[in-house]
Amino acid sequence: MTQVFLAVVLGVLFTIGTYLVLRRDVVRVVWGISIISQSANVYLVTMGGFDGLAPILSGHGGGDVAATSDPIVQALVLTAIVIGFGTTALALVLTYRVYEEHGTIDMYELGGSR
Amino acid sequence: MSTLVIAPLLVALVTAILTLLTRPSDILQRTVSLLGAVGYLVAVVALFDEVILPLGSEPATLVYQVSNWAAPFGISLVADALSVFMLALTGFVSLLVLVYSIASVDGFGQRLSYHPLYHFMVVGVTGSFLTGDIFNLFVWFEVMLMSSYILVLFYSGREHTRAALNYVVLNLIGSAVMLIAIGGLYSTTGTLNMADLAQRLAAPGAYDVALLPTLGLSAVLFSVFALKAGLAPFQFWVPAAYRAAPSPVTAMLAGVVKKVGVYAIIRLYFTIFAAAAIDLSFLGISGNSFLGFFGPVMFVMAAVSIILGGIGAVGRDDVDGILAFSSISQVGFIVLPLAVAATAPSETVRVLGVTAALVYAFNHGLAKSLLFLASGTIQDTIGSDRISDLGGLANRAPVLAAGFLLGALTLIGVPPLSGFFGKYLVFQAAAEAFAAGAAGAGLALAVALAGAILTIAYYTRAWNAVFWGRPSDLVNAALPDRWSIGSRDVAMTDGGDGNLERLELTTQVTVVVALAVAAIGFGIGFEALFATADAAAHAALDTNGYIDAVMNGPGVGLEAATGGGHA
Repeated sequence: MTQVFLAVVLGVLFTIGTYLVLRRDVVRVVWGISIISQSANVYLVTMGGFDGLAPILSGHGGGDVAATSDPIVQALVLTAIVIGFGTTALALVLTYRVYEEHGTIDMYELGGSR
Repeated sequence: MSTLVIAPLLVALVTAILTLLTRPSDILQRTVSLLGAVGYLVAVVALFDEVILPLGSEPATLVYQVSNWAAPFGISLVADALSVFMLALTGFVSLLVLVYSIASVDGFGQRLSYHPLYHFMVVGVTGSFLTGDIFNLFVWFEVMLMSSYILVLFYSGREHTRAALNYVVLNLIGSAVMLIAIGGLYSTTGTLNMADLAQRLAAPGAYDVALLPTLGLSAVLFSVFALKAGLAPFQFWVPAAYRAAPSPVTAMLAGVVKKVGVYAIIRLYFTIFAAAAIDLSFLGISGNSFLGFFGPVMFVMAAVSIILGGIGAVGRDDVDGILAFSSISQVGFIVLPLAVAATAPSETVRVLGVTAALVYAFNHGLAKSLLFLASGTIQDTIGSDRISDLGGLANRAPVLAAGFLLGALTLIGVPPLSGFFGKYLVFQAAAEAFAAGAAGAGLALAVALAGAILTIAYYTRAWNAVFWGRPSDLVNAALPDRWSIGSRDVAMTDGGDGNLERLELTTQVTVVVALAVAAIGFGIGFEALFATADAAAHAALDTNGYIDAVMNGPGVGLEAATGGGHA
């Protein structure tokens, strides 16, 4: 059930992200990108499956350990979040620089670049 | 000596950090930066010596397990002949381009961020070549891209911010797609380690791997690598970004960073995904492995790149634009033999195809950096790179002209330059596949021929307009007399310091000449280059050797780690 729910959420998130990336306003484009990269992270967590407890082990070694969810994807997502944080910051600064240079952040007014 | 694997990575990383720390002193920062690039080359040569030399002997595969965790639990760094081949190109080109940068990038920019960014980009490139883990590949890609974003944006003017915006947005979407593909591959195969991935794909039943979804996900991943390599239909970012970046950065982007995409295609699709046996027949594509699917895909992308890039280059009226479109076309030439190799009927043709791609990539790395640097020098001295503003430079700057000519001739493929052999091998691979009756090989030959003719057309046009004829007004103003190495100062019209000093110009031209000499040298001593590329191609196609080296490599396994038991 969780999986179906997440699949729907992911679909919605990607839709919103794609919609925003296609906007004329550069700030919305940046939002769109960050939504897409966040939904990629949610997707990544989903790929690990949810058939177990949180992967926090009590004690160390020996004894029976209850089935846990796959911790690898969660480690991956942490890495991806940090990278996404950096790139989003860069994209926002870049947006500001574009505004300073061109006086607009409208994609149409910026025109194509050669 | 498996710790040698991380030597280039560490040298580049330490250099990047040291250049951050030495920012207060220009001289110190530049010295550290240069020494770092030399040290990087030394580390690469040491690794090269360990893996490939002596020629003729079986190349080794060195594996370094991070934290000594055995594969597939830790992150593996693998230096085989293919990785080392690409690293050698990087080491050589990055050192020369750095020397050029010191003479060409303005002092404030260098002090501010140029050197750290440059070395972080080299770190990313090195990591991508060495890693044996697909998620780790993503991380190194990001390291490389993050530096390249800021380097493309370096001068931060009107055009630069506009071009960088496209470049950043496109690559961020590419990164998200890459993450999705990697997540999907992890979900279907249950591993991120490349060797383990190949092992599981080879025995899908034993590991409960569904091959068809894996094929689809690997195709998603392929689009990301095609984006990085600038293959059609993902080529549109190339001209704007290359125009916006400072010329030494463009030289690195075209010469080295693009090759990361090519390397990833070879490594993942020829070494790893080729392990899967699957019967394909849809959309007229049939085959018995993933390569049967990717062969035609690569062929179409390569063919479109060659033709589109070639026609685009013919129509441009600025030198950088011609070179950027040429770069799209040349990447097509690198991927075309890969497409031939993927659908090759026999093992020999397959090895030949990959060898041809590697040799071509190497030549393109040398020649395209040379041309972009020469174009940068023209821009610095004359103040424009538009064809209509230029003319008669062969008379005024004969050394630079000779360098440019050699670079162009290398890409056209004239013997005895190394480019001749690159092109020759591409044609040979296609011809042998044609002789062996491979479908589409005839078409590949025709496309390669058309591309070669276009290459001649646009370089002839650039040469005629820029170097021959009467010197234009701008050229006369900037270079009233003949200039060669050792001549007096030149007035610089490009704003900046107002004067391009003799030492700076001499350094720039010397780097261009050094690259031209290398193109001649590798042409005359082609046997060594061929033997190395051949070893790299064999390593690229030796899936079992790769699996064996990584899975049975060093490191502490799970049993050994928990076996001691301290419960």
